[in-house]
Amino acid sequence: MSIYSSAVKKPVTTILIFVITMVMGLYSLTQLSVDLYPEIELPFLSVYTSYQGASASDIETNITRPIEDVLSSVTGLKEMTSTSSDNVSVIFLQFEYETNLDEASNDIRSNLSFIENFLPEDAEDPNILKFNSAMMPIVFYAITADESYQGLEKILDEKVVNPLNRIEGVGSVSLSGVPGREIYVDVDPRRMEAYNLTIEQIGNVLRAENINMPSGFLEMGATDYPIRVQGEFQESDIIKDIVVGNYAGNDILLSDVAVVSDTIRESRLISKINGERGMGLFIQKMSGANTVQVCRDAEKELEKLAKDLPQDVKIEKLFDSAEFISGSINNLTETLMYAGIFVILVVLFFLGRWRATFIIILTIPISLVFAFIYLFITGNSINIISLSSLSIAIGMVVDDAIVVLENITKHIERGSSPREAAIYATNEVWLAVIITTLTVVAVFFPLTFVTGLTGVMFSQLGMIVSITIVVSTFAAITLTPTLAARLLKLSPLKKDAPLYTWDGSVHKFLDWMDGFYVKSLNWAIHHKRIIIAIAVIVFAGSMSLLKYVGKEFMPVADESRCTATVELQTGTRVDNTVIVADRIDSLVMATVPEVKLISTNTGNDDSGGFASIFSQGGTHVIQYTFSLVPVSERSRGVEEVAESIRQIMAPMPEIVNYSVSTTDDMNMGGMGGNTVNLEVYGYDITQTNLVAEEMASRIKNIEGAKDIQISRKRSKPELQVVFDHKKLMMHGLTTAQASAMIKNRVDGLTATRLRQAGDEYDVVVRYKESARNSITEIENLGIVTPAGQVIRLGEIADVREAWTPPNIERKRKERIVTVSVTPYKRSLNLIVADIQKELDQVSLPSGVMVEISGAFEDMTESFMDIGLLLVVSLLLVYLVMASQFESLKMPVIIMLSIPFAFSGVAIALFISGESLNLIAGIGAVMLIGIVVKNAIVLVDFINLTRDRSVELYEAVLISGRSRLRPVLMTSLTTILAMLPLAVNPGEGSELWRPMGIAVIGGLVFSTMVTMILVPVGYVLIARRGERDKKHKEAFRDMKFLDDIKE
Amino acid sequence: MKAVMIIYNLALTEKVEYTLEHFGIRGYTQWDNVEGTGSKTGVPHLGTHTWPEINGVVLTFVEPEKVAPLLEAVRRIDAINEEVGIRAFVWAIEQTV
Repeated sequence: MSIYSSAVKKPVTTILIFVITMVMGLYSLTQLSVDLYPEIELPFLSVYTSYQGASASDIETNITRPIEDVLSSVTGLKEMTSTSSDNVSVIFLQFEYETNLDEASNDIRSNLSFIENFLPEDAEDPNILKFNSAMMPIVFYAITADESYQGLEKILDEKVVNPLNRIEGVGSVSLSGVPGREIYVDVDPRRMEAYNLTIEQIGNVLRAENINMPSGFLEMGATDYPIRVQGEFQESDIIKDIVVGNYAGNDILLSDVAVVSDTIRESRLISKINGERGMGLFIQKMSGANTVQVCRDAEKELEKLAKDLPQDVKIEKLFDSAEFISGSINNLTETLMYAGIFVILVVLFFLGRWRATFIIILTIPISLVFAFIYLFITGNSINIISLSSLSIAIGMVVDDAIVVLENITKHIERGSSPREAAIYATNEVWLAVIITTLTVVAVFFPLTFVTGLTGVMFSQLGMIVSITIVVSTFAAITLTPTLAARLLKLSPLKKDAPLYTWDGSVHKFLDWMDGFYVKSLNWAIHHKRIIIAIAVIVFAGSMSLLKYVGKEFMPVADESRCTATVELQTGTRVDNTVIVADRIDSLVMATVPEVKLISTNTGNDDSGGFASIFSQGGTHVIQYTFSLVPVSERSRGVEEVAESIRQIMAPMPEIVNYSVSTTDDMNMGGMGGNTVNLEVYGYDITQTNLVAEEMASRIKNIEGAKDIQISRKRSKPELQVVFDHKKLMMHGLTTAQASAMIKNRVDGLTATRLRQAGDEYDVVVRYKESARNSITEIENLGIVTPAGQVIRLGEIADVREAWTPPNIERKRKERIVTVSVTPYKRSLNLIVADIQKELDQVSLPSGVMVEISGAFEDMTESFMDIGLLLVVSLLLVYLVMASQFESLKMPVIIMLSIPFAFSGVAIALFISGESLNLIAGIGAVMLIGIVVKNAIVLVDFINLTRDRSVELYEAVLISGRSRLRPVLMTSLTTILAMLPLAVNPGEGSELWRPMGIAVIGGLVFSTMVTMILVPVGYVLIARRGERDKKHKEAFRDMKFLDDIKE
Repeated sequence: MKAVMIIYNLALTEKVEYTLEHFGIRGYTQWDNVEGTGSKTGVPHLGTHTWPEINGVVLTFVEPEKVAPLLEAVRRIDAINEEVGIRAFVWAIEQTV
């Protein structure tokens, strides 16, 4: 017994099976987390090594190069780049996607162990860092305060950070730009030396005083008392009264030689929010946690916590990925809903029967629910990719049910009972239905094999569409007949129905349309040459439009946020930089109404620290984050806002360099990145700098090239202390000793820690500021010899000003400078062509090599991928069709419609002004499956009619009339389901609009072509009654039959 | 005894079975999925992609008085829609065991 007849005969079982899957699906839906993208393990690892006190070039020779050499043999390594800057070496390893990163890090670790002994002794052991998209902070809060500013760190730590950390799903909560507490002992060197003291001595005394020590037991009577020395400082106030020495019989108190101040830590990082001193609080989620849920919980919790905070502490949201996510998700859900409504309307329009429409649209939720089950089982989330995939699928899942139901209706009209009709009508079409599904799956399933970053997006798309389509077919041959048997009844058309009923209006219109189409088709098959000529012209014409369509890698999503980096003259003091920052703040606030919140970080904190991997800073650098009002509340896109911010920065004379970016560099591992990079390779720093500068100034004149950045930062001024080794030795000193003393005097010696309420604060002893603010003062620093003598630094060393490059970047083990260009309203390929032209005019010095890469490289790579995908899909579709028709020629006729789908894409992109990008490309690949489906339906029916011995032209006309409605219906459901995706202006829509437009354009155009050109092609290719001829040929040995007289 | 062979579009299976039951005809032999085409009217029922319809056959041996009502029933079923297709043939049985 076949599956459909069992289904019809056991309606309870059938319906219950689907009810159960619906329940499972809805359960999965409630369990699914909501996120922007599928979680990706980015195939990046980095090796971080710090070597305090080394300059960039020292780091390069002593750390970066040896490590690079041993790491180049790690398996799966795709590209290795490195940055050597002062104190820090960061080597960035990019692996092939799907590399097992755990294995890779083991590899790295064992390779590192070979050279660990050869690294400088003072260098710390290399650390391996892993990146994950879950590492990106999901919420940023800006915190400002007036009176409580000083004690903010402690307040926030206790009252905000710890409670937030307890929220489920929160990975970590961190503060940035926090004013930490520190106790400074600012020593007056003249007084100190007058009392024969040194910084080191003072430090030792403080350390020795600040101590608690258990000192044994005392047995007294019946009791055993432990003895403890209680010497720790209770208050910072005590410190100034400590006796640090003795001079001529008098005690010297610390306050005699120094000023003790308990204050906030001096920082070269100043964070401001909307021009006010403030700090940032950011939350990272745990891997796999629901971003939206965590953000919501954190927000609620924070609201509660804010009540306990001092009045003047204000917490404002700077950036919330949940907002963008739920915006995009809501938007897509809306899209999905509209798509569903459009599909229902189309079905209702063509069928005009409520019950039939109900049966058909029931396949929509069933197929979609299966997608949720799939997502749940594979541990995926609801994200823009899975939702977009669903809205792509929604128009296609009804197709099979339509075909089945149409046939059932035909049988009922012929007088069968609904029950019989359901079984036998399904029997007639189930094979055809499965085969058309196979062609669609043949296109979508290969998408799951795409690797790389594009694979992350499109494997989910491919899987979801394949699954929903397969499920919809299953439902169409089980549930649809079952329900049809129960619900359908004969409702004959009324001939003289009034105009307001479906029978009287739409049905008559559809009949008229059939007639019109058959007339046109009749004309077309009798004027084949004209039709072919028109087709060729249209195809060539539309393809030439592609020249005017822009090309880019990925559309840039409007995340209502942009970031900027502003550089002043290197070496500018933080205080001066802040003044400029304030000016920009007020200008932006005044002239760019879209900006809601400005957060700035000026300067940078602990250089060489962990955070410096992510931000290149310096006292002269301002880093901006602009939060914009939601997309719906502004007319300008984020690109335009960025451009007007650029306009503000451009005329300011203090600004040496600036860049405004609308995407995060970390976002999806640079997936949103859209820059063209010019890579200048070469060892000689001056030469490569010259080439980079020259190229940058040439590129500046290219239209549409914005934000030209040179990756190697300008050389910065520094004071170099060069010891005279002979003199050093004469005084019994080593460079290490002497330089440690310089550090203690200038940077300060952390002598001990003040412990209060469970927290520890550094006590730092150093020269007072006026004693360390000029070269002369530095030369006057007192260095203590082992003999106890104090000599001046100037006596044993030269202090001189010098310029050094702050960072040395390498790629593929060669030094590199990158000039990056952000395109603005011009497509990548045109800019690249112009850059190439400029490049040809520059004569490169020997040893310098220039290459163009960046998003352009990714673009070419992914377009190649799409090309390959296209070929694979075409081949698979051809195979499926060839086996269906058992003919090599038929598929060719059917595939005639494919080029015109691409024509449609070109025309649609041209009219809408969208660029051709990865997403539009995938749309084009998808079209193959959808378009071919229509042609199959038509050609299959022509074949069938011809088999029924109808004359060729007659067969074409009959089939055309019979198949016009199903083809229009399935095309219209797909087109209208895509429409919301193409026109919805909300958050995140930029990403999918190209696909919507491409599919709609391609489908509209190719449907028209299918209905005219495919029949014409059929008539041309199958002209001679080849079927009869073949038949006779097969029975050549039966010729004797002609001799027998009847 | 008469042999009545009813050849019908498989879509009419249940109607045919119900008819036999209605006239209390207990003994019959049934074949599903048989191919055939009518001599004069109607389309071939071949169960192929081109001619997807297919037939069933019921062969029953009944008392002569039951033949007339049975044929009448078949005629009525056919009258619902001639396109669907049902035919009956009767011949005499000489001996049975």
